[in-house]
Amino acid sequence: MVADGSRSSSLLASIRLLIAHREVVTSFARRSLQVRYKQSALGVLWAVIQPLATLVLFVIFFGRVAKISGGGAPYAAFALSALAPWQFINSAVSFAGISVINEGALLRKVYFPREAPVVGAIGSNLVDLAIMIALVTVAEPFLGGRLGLNLFWVPLLAIALIVPALAVSLPIAGLGVFYRDVKYVLPFLLQFWMFASPIAYPLSRVPAGWRPVYALLNPAVGPIDGFRHVFALGTSPDWGLLAISLASGTLLLLLGYTLFNKLAPEMADVV
Amino acid sequence: MTMWAVRLEDVTKRYRMGGVQVDSLGRVLSGTPRRVLDRVRGHRQPGRREGRGKLALEHIDLEIEEGASYALIGSNGAGKSTALRLISRISPPSSGRVRVRGRVGALMEVSSGVHFELTGRENIWLYGSILGISRAEIRRRFDEIVEFAGLSESLETQVKYYSSGMQLRLGFSIASHLEPDVFVVDEALAVGDTAFQAKCVERMTRLSRQGTTLLFVSHQLPTVEALCTHGALLSGGRLVEQGEVRPVLAHYLRMLEVEQERGFQAVETDDPVRIVGVSCHAASGEERQQFGTNESIEIRFRLEGEAPMDRPHVTVGISDGRPGMLVQCSMLDDGDAPARVNEHWECRLTIPHLPLRPRLYWIWAGVYGADAVGMVADWAQVGHFRVVGDVGSGPRGLVSGAYAGALALPYEWDVRT
Repeated sequence: MVADGSRSSSLLASIRLLIAHREVVTSFARRSLQVRYKQSALGVLWAVIQPLATLVLFVIFFGRVAKISGGGAPYAAFALSALAPWQFINSAVSFAGISVINEGALLRKVYFPREAPVVGAIGSNLVDLAIMIALVTVAEPFLGGRLGLNLFWVPLLAIALIVPALAVSLPIAGLGVFYRDVKYVLPFLLQFWMFASPIAYPLSRVPAGWRPVYALLNPAVGPIDGFRHVFALGTSPDWGLLAISLASGTLLLLLGYTLFNKLAPEMADVV
Repeated sequence: MTMWAVRLEDVTKRYRMGGVQVDSLGRVLSGTPRRVLDRVRGHRQPGRREGRGKLALEHIDLEIEEGASYALIGSNGAGKSTALRLISRISPPSSGRVRVRGRVGALMEVSSGVHFELTGRENIWLYGSILGISRAEIRRRFDEIVEFAGLSESLETQVKYYSSGMQLRLGFSIASHLEPDVFVVDEALAVGDTAFQAKCVERMTRLSRQGTTLLFVSHQLPTVEALCTHGALLSGGRLVEQGEVRPVLAHYLRMLEVEQERGFQAVETDDPVRIVGVSCHAASGEERQQFGTNESIEIRFRLEGEAPMDRPHVTVGISDGRPGMLVQCSMLDDGDAPARVNEHWECRLTIPHLPLRPRLYWIWAGVYGADAVGMVADWAQVGHFRVVGDVGSGPRGLVSGAYAGALALPYEWDVRT
């Protein structure tokens, strides 16, 4: 091990280090699950209750009151198919964004890759995502959604969903150690992000020519729209949009990771 | 030539004071973008940050050999803990390089690596994984860790409900059983009870014999002396001396003496009688700091009172740093109090044979008034001396020399079968 005062470690070295410490990541993931559900009476049911409650609100206000169309599917089926992936991003980023601060006591006393709790928090939310996907698969036929063999794309879509979640969580978790303000900004940021994603409204509301730009600026667009295709419309994802989102998400992830990396060494001194 | 396990190359560490969290909202808003950028650029602009913050270590060059038992010695604030933080990678150097070969197991303060929300069992797994140990190996060591810590009944309890002693036991047990290449222990042992301290020292000695590099910070100099082969003396963030532990310790003791003498003048007690000087002398009257086992020692106390007084009862104790006195010599017991003393007086205590084993001893003293009830000079640690001699060559001679009974008695074995 070499700690050099004059420069921070390269991204590749950090990734290698993180892989060497994968057991720590699993430990943090397991812990994050335990902490979230251990002392709550309903436990893992919350993973299901939250999107369902949001769905009711969406159906009433966007479906009935605002009369937004479901783009070919009943509004409930339409909304649920996008709420499930959004719930993952929302919950993953909320937990991962404060995960490093939450490990402050540990941070001050032992060394581990500082991104381990972030990755762990995202990982633990994959459990919730799996539960939600199961729920959506069961519920969609009742709501009028069309499911088919395109369900095979779900693992790929899940990966495309992890990329923007991690990309946003890393800089937030890193900056949050130095600027507590980040904690207060986070809920607004997530709310803004939700309305900036095609969740309450169909992607068709965006002019066709602007859709690639939309997917480029918001890397959650591709995968969320993909979920909608697979679960509500019974078609395969829009590969073009997905590729654009994946590309911009990966770029954002590299930037976010680089920023985090720069901040990481000094975290233990200030946390 | 042996390999190094830890190397510090021209290392400087500067802590920033306060930090941005305490900035006012306005300053945060106006200055944030620039400061975020500064931070992201990190250490590439040392010039801009020079002069800010507290300098904890200054241009330290240090090399610790593989398998050595190494002590960092120094007073509070000397930079010992900072050095350990750098070596265990918790915090980065501001400049210079820190290099470590292998896995570092660190026990900083009482409960490092211990997470309060988790149970004892979960902590063993978490800390094990932080040290980069496979699940199979943790499983293999699990029972041993629990047994060493003596926590089998509290294994399913969250650590936040543990006493600090229990936390220490858990932390030490985990850190020391997961076979680190470099084992770092900072002060932590002071919390544990004597029995556990001895157990820890024994454990460290064993690790050391198995080839683990030991890095140790403690104010318990007897432990340092017994445990460590080499050491470095830090003072105010600078490296004063490094090398074999005894010369380094001797240097530190000289430093302490200077500080202590200064301390005597500085401390102005309200007590009617003040002990203004303490010195130790050999039978020849020569002033000395070091004595051999069974040598004669004469401790001279110089005292100052506000006025002449009747029948002051002087009480002197000798301790080896642990609670309780090994020896107490008191005029309260023997009735030898002088009839009357002036404002300035001297009291000499002679012990013709000092049956103590080699280590550092502290001199305590207090003075009771004529009534033998109220104290006119409060009971306090007033000085120290050292008994030197050969440490036993048995397998535990090293540890026992520092931790087992302090009395040196002649004895013989007679084993029959």
